[in-house]
Amino acid sequence: MSNLSRREFLRDLGLSASMLPFVLNLPGVGFANSTARKQRLIIIFSPNGVVQPTFWPDEAGREFTLKESLSPLEPFKNRLLTLHGLCDKVRGDGDSHMRGIGCLLTGVELFPGNIQGGSDTPAGWSSGISIDQEIKNFLQANSATRTRFGSLEFGVLVPDRADTWTRMSYAGPNKPVTPIDNPYRMFSKLYGRRTDQEHLQSILDPLQGDLQKLAANLSAADRQLLDEQATFVREMEQELKSSTAEATGHAVPDLEPGIKEETENMPRLSRMQIELLVSSFQSDAARVATFQYTNSVGDLKMKWLGVDQGHHELSHEPDTNEKSQEKLTTINKWYAEQVAYLAKRLAETPEPGGDGSLLDNTLIVWTNELGKGNSHTLDNIPFVLVGNGLNFAMGQSLKLGSLPHNRLLMSLAHGFGHHIERFGNPDFCRDGVLTQLT
Amino acid sequence: MAQSRLSFLKAVSASRRFAAWLLLSAVAFTPSGVQADEAPTGASVYQAKCAACHGANGEGGTASYPAPLVGDRSIGELTEYISRDMPADQPGTCVGDEARVVAEFIHGAFYSATAQARNKPARIELSRLTVRQFRNACADMLAEFRGAGSVDERQGLLGRYYKSRNTRSRDVAIERIDPVVDFNFQDKSPDPEKLEPHEFSIRWEGSVLAPDTGDYEFVVKTDQATRLWINDLKQPLIDAYVKSGNDTEYHGSQFLLGGRKYGLRLEFSKAKQGVDDKKAKERPPQPAMISLEWKRPHRLREVIPARYLSAQQPPEMLIVGTEFPPDDRSLGWEKATSISREWDQATTEAAIEVARYIAARSGEFAGTKPGDADQIPKLKSFCQRLAAAAFRRPLADEQVALYIDRPFASITDPEAAVHRAVLLLLKSPRFLYRELGSATPTATDSFDVAARMSFGLWDSIPDPELQTAAREGKLATPEQVRAQATRMLGDRRAQTKVREFLLRWLKVERVPELDKDATQFADFTPAVAHDLRTSLELFLDELLISEGADFRQLLLNDSLYLNGRLAKFYGAELGENAEFQKVAFEQGERAGVLSHPYLLADFAYQSSSSPIHRGVLIARSVLGRTLRPPPEAVTPVPPQLQPDLTTRERVSLQTKAESCQSCHAMINALGFTLEHFDAVGRFRREDNRKPVDSHGSYRTRSGETVEFGGVRELAHFLANSPETHAAFVDQLFHALIRQPIRACGPHTRDNLRKSFVENNFNIRRLMVEMITVAAWPADEQKPPPPQ
Repeated sequence: MSNLSRREFLRDLGLSASMLPFVLNLPGVGFANSTARKQRLIIIFSPNGVVQPTFWPDEAGREFTLKESLSPLEPFKNRLLTLHGLCDKVRGDGDSHMRGIGCLLTGVELFPGNIQGGSDTPAGWSSGISIDQEIKNFLQANSATRTRFGSLEFGVLVPDRADTWTRMSYAGPNKPVTPIDNPYRMFSKLYGRRTDQEHLQSILDPLQGDLQKLAANLSAADRQLLDEQATFVREMEQELKSSTAEATGHAVPDLEPGIKEETENMPRLSRMQIELLVSSFQSDAARVATFQYTNSVGDLKMKWLGVDQGHHELSHEPDTNEKSQEKLTTINKWYAEQVAYLAKRLAETPEPGGDGSLLDNTLIVWTNELGKGNSHTLDNIPFVLVGNGLNFAMGQSLKLGSLPHNRLLMSLAHGFGHHIERFGNPDFCRDGVLTQLT
Repeated sequence: MAQSRLSFLKAVSASRRFAAWLLLSAVAFTPSGVQADEAPTGASVYQAKCAACHGANGEGGTASYPAPLVGDRSIGELTEYISRDMPADQPGTCVGDEARVVAEFIHGAFYSATAQARNKPARIELSRLTVRQFRNACADMLAEFRGAGSVDERQGLLGRYYKSRNTRSRDVAIERIDPVVDFNFQDKSPDPEKLEPHEFSIRWEGSVLAPDTGDYEFVVKTDQATRLWINDLKQPLIDAYVKSGNDTEYHGSQFLLGGRKYGLRLEFSKAKQGVDDKKAKERPPQPAMISLEWKRPHRLREVIPARYLSAQQPPEMLIVGTEFPPDDRSLGWEKATSISREWDQATTEAAIEVARYIAARSGEFAGTKPGDADQIPKLKSFCQRLAAAAFRRPLADEQVALYIDRPFASITDPEAAVHRAVLLLLKSPRFLYRELGSATPTATDSFDVAARMSFGLWDSIPDPELQTAAREGKLATPEQVRAQATRMLGDRRAQTKVREFLLRWLKVERVPELDKDATQFADFTPAVAHDLRTSLELFLDELLISEGADFRQLLLNDSLYLNGRLAKFYGAELGENAEFQKVAFEQGERAGVLSHPYLLADFAYQSSSSPIHRGVLIARSVLGRTLRPPPEAVTPVPPQLQPDLTTRERVSLQTKAESCQSCHAMINALGFTLEHFDAVGRFRREDNRKPVDSHGSYRTRSGETVEFGGVRELAHFLANSPETHAAFVDQLFHALIRQPIRACGPHTRDNLRKSFVENNFNIRRLMVEMITVAAWPADEQKPPPPQ
C-alpha cells in the first residue's frame, strides 16, 4: 500500500537538510494572494446510515422544518442545504459498507481484492481518486491557491487497521490516505516547526557558553573550527529571531494533554480535532479537509448518550424496533451537534485578511456510507451541506429523486472553478453537475 | 589543453569511464621519480650553485640569505629571475635549461605555496565527526538502553506456519528455519499433514544484514496478503494486507547503515481477509506464492540470499535519515578538518530528528512513565548516561548543570525536556568533534584512548564494554589496548570497515557499471557483472576472517568464488544452479585479486583489455606510486585503425613518444602482465590471432629492474615487496585513523611495516597495532605509566 520510505516520511515532517529553512522560518499566514476569495471544503463522515424519518425534512424548498436528527443545525438553517435523493449507484466488488465508504468520494468501483465483506464478492481499494484530493490537487497546482498542506485528513477514533472499511480519501487508484485521528499528532503536523524553534532557541546560550569554554583551551589552529561553529550558532539565533517576529500569530490551540484514544473520550477528541481544523484554516495551512468519525461499520458504544449497544449492531435492527430507532436518532443527533459546533466555530472566526467569517467561505458536507443501516441501501445517502463556501443556494431542502451522487462530486469541483466533465464512473456523470444547487 | 580534452571526450563518447581512465593514464612521475638522467637535475644544480646561501632545503639561515626561500613567482618567472640575477655573486652562470630545471626544483620542493603546505609538519588536527561517524554514533549511543535482542546465528529466517489466516500462537503447526523466502506453494499445502491448502498463514522473523550503507529496496512478491517490517517492527514498511487489483509485487525503500543487522518480520496469509469466509473450503484451493527480494545500493534485484538473513532478533536501530554534505575525500580517505554552513545545518536537522525519536521513546529507555514519582530523576539520569556515551566520557558537574539540569529547568513537560537535552548534546562540540580531549591541557586519558579506538575500528563511539574499561583505567597499557582492539575486531562494524577499505584499495568502492560490447560478449549480462562483484566480496570477506588473514593471499590465492552462472560463463565445471562456492580455477594462470575477473573486466574497455588501466591500478594502489595527472590529453587510436596489432602492440605504439615513456615505461610494463585476460577477464592464449605476450617488468624505487613472465610472477613479486607493504600500511592507516600517518610520530610508518612483516602480514594484527599506536599519537608508544 504505502511505498513511503522512512526518509520520505521524515522529509514530509520537514526533517531533511533541504527543509531546514522551513524549520527556521515558520511560514507566516501569507496573505499575499488574498485578493481572491479563499474557498474551502470540509467533508465529514459518520457511519451506518441514518433513520430516514427523523433525518430528512418532509418539505422541499425554502420552507422546511428540521427533524430531530438535524435539530442541532437550527441556528444555521438559512445556510443549510439538505440533498435528499442522491444515490451511490456504483456497483461491482465489495459489500455495501465497503462500496459505501470506498465509492462515496470516488464515485468509481473498487478493485477486486481479498477483503471479504458480509456478503457479495471480496474487494480491495478504490480504483480512483477521491474528490477531496482532486480539488486539493487543483488548488495546489496554482500558486494563488496553494497552501502548505493542500488538504488535511482528520479522524476521530478511526481503528488502527487499514482496510476498505476504514478509508474514504484516496490520492489515486490503490492509494488510500490514512486519516490522523490523534490530535497530538495533528498538532505536531501543524505546529511541530514552531515547537522545534522553541526547542532550538533554548539551546543557543548553553551551546555558545560551552563552545567558548572549550575554544579557550585549544591551539589557534584548532580553535578556528569552534569559532566557525560559534558563528553558525549566532546566525541561527538571528534567523530564529526574525522568523519568530514574522510568525503571525493566531493563537495555537491549547490542547488538554493526555487524552487517550478511547471511546469514552470521543466527545473531547471531536472537540480537539475541530479546534485544530479551525485553526489550520485560520492559518491557511490547507483549504480542503476530511473529517472521519470512526469507520464504515463503526461499532462504538456511545455510552455518554445512554446507548449501550454498538452503533453498527443497532443499525441492523428493523424499523419496527422503536427503541433502537430512537437510539440511532440520538446518535445521529450527536453527530449533527458536532457539525453544528464546527459551523459555529467557523462562523465566529473572522476570515483572516478578508471580510466576514470562515464559514462565509467554507462549505461543510456531512455524509455517510449508507442511506439506511438495516437495509444497507446506497440510495438516499445523507448529504447535508452547511456554509457558504461554494456559492450554492443555501437555506433549502432539495428532493432530487434518484440521481447519481457523482453529480454532486462534480458540483463540488465546479464550485472551486475546477470544471471537470466527469468524475469517477463516467456513466453517472452524463447529465453534468447538479444545476439545482446554484 | 581544455580544448583537446573536450574533443577527446567527444571522440570516445562510447563510454565515460573509458574517457576518464585515459585521462588518468597519461601520467608523469613526480620529480623524485626513478628515471636516471644524464643531464644535471634541478636538485644537483641547486646543491651546486644555490645551497651555500639558501640552505640545503631552502631554509635560509645563512649570513647572505637568512630568510627561507619561499614566494609566489611562477616557474617561468623564477627561471627568468635566476637566468638574470642568480647566483648573486656570479649572475649569468645559471641560464637556459639549467635555470629552468633548478627553478622547477625550487618551486616544487619548498618555494611554492603548495610545497610549503606539503612540508608543514603533520599534526593531529581537530576533526569533526565524518558523516558516517555521526550516523553510527547516533545509532550506537542508545545501545545500552535497549535489550541486546536474541542471539541466534542460524542462517535464514525463523518461519512459523499457522493453521488459520491469523498468526495466532495456538494455531502454530510448523516451526522451522527457512534459508530464503522464495516459495511457490501452487494450490497445495506447504505440509499436507499439518496445514490445509485452502487457508494458512506464515510469519518469518529474524534479521537482515546490510552489507553497505545506502538505500535498500525491499520487494515482496505474492498473490496473497502480506506485510513486511524492517528495523521498525511497529510500522510496516510494506502493508499489502489488502490485496487490491492485480498487483503481486510490493516495494518499500529503507535507508540502512552498513555492517549492521536489522530486525525483519514478514507475514503472509493465504485466505480472504475481512469477514471470515466459511465456504472457502468448499471451493478448490487457489494458488499461492511468496518471495522476499531486495535491491542493495547499486546492485541488481535478487531474492535475499541466506548469508544476509539470520534468525537473530536484534533491537531496533536509530537510523539518521537527514542528508549531509559529503566528506572531503580528496586524499583518498575521509578527512573532516573543516566545517561548512551546510554541514552545520545538517547537524541541526539531524539533532531534531534524533531528539524527536529519543524523546518519544524516553520513557521506555529510562524505565519510567508519566505519573511516576521518580519520572523526572529517571529521565535526567537517562539523559546523563546518554550524554556520557555521546561525549565519550562522563560529565563533570558543571556539564551536568549545563547539559541536563538546564534543559529540564527550561520547560515543565518532561518529554520536551528530554527533547531539549538531546538537541543540546547533539549540537555540542563535545559530541561533534574528535580529539577535543587531547587538545585540552589535561593529558591523554583512558577516555581519549577508548574514543580513538572505537572511531578507528568502528567509526563510532565506544560500546558499553569499552566505556567500562576506560572508566576502570584498563586502557593504560599497550597490552590492554591490544586486548580490547582484538575483541572489537570481531564486531561486524570492524569487518565492514576493512572490507570497504579493501574495495577502495582496489578502486572498486563505487560499484562500476560493466558495459561490454554486445556482439563480442553477448553472454556478459548485468547478472554476470553482479555475480562477479559478489564473488570478489566473498573472497575478501573470507580472507579477512580466515585465521592468518594473510595480506599476501590477496595477491596470491589461486581460487575463485563461482556460482553456476559464473562457472558457465568462465568455463568452470559447476552445476547450472550451483550456489557460490570456492573453486580452484585456472590455477596456473590466475593470482589473487589482480586476476579476479571483476577487476579485469572493470579495468578494460568495452571490447578490449586495457593494460594502461591495469598498470595504473598496480602502480598506484598496490605499489603506492604517485602519478601526476597527464600533461596533455591523448586520443587513443581505435583498434580498427590498426587491425593487425595486438592490444599490447597498439598500446606500445601509442605511448612510444618520449614524453609518454617517462610514465608509461612503468605503467605498460606492469599492465602487460595481465594480457592473458580479455575485456571480461576470460583467459586467452591469443589476441588478434597472435600469441599473447604477457611479459612485463618493474623498476623498483631502489633502481633494480625486475622481470615477470605473467601475472603469477608479478603477484609473487608484489606480495613480497616492501614497497607494496608500505603502500598498504599507509592506506590502511589513513582509512582507519583518518589522520595523517606522519602526524603520529616519525617512526610510526616504519614500525608498523616491521610489525606487519613480523606478524606474517596478518591484516587483523596490523589493524590492532595501528589502533594501539594511534591510541597515544603524541608520544608514540609511550603511554603514561599506569596509575
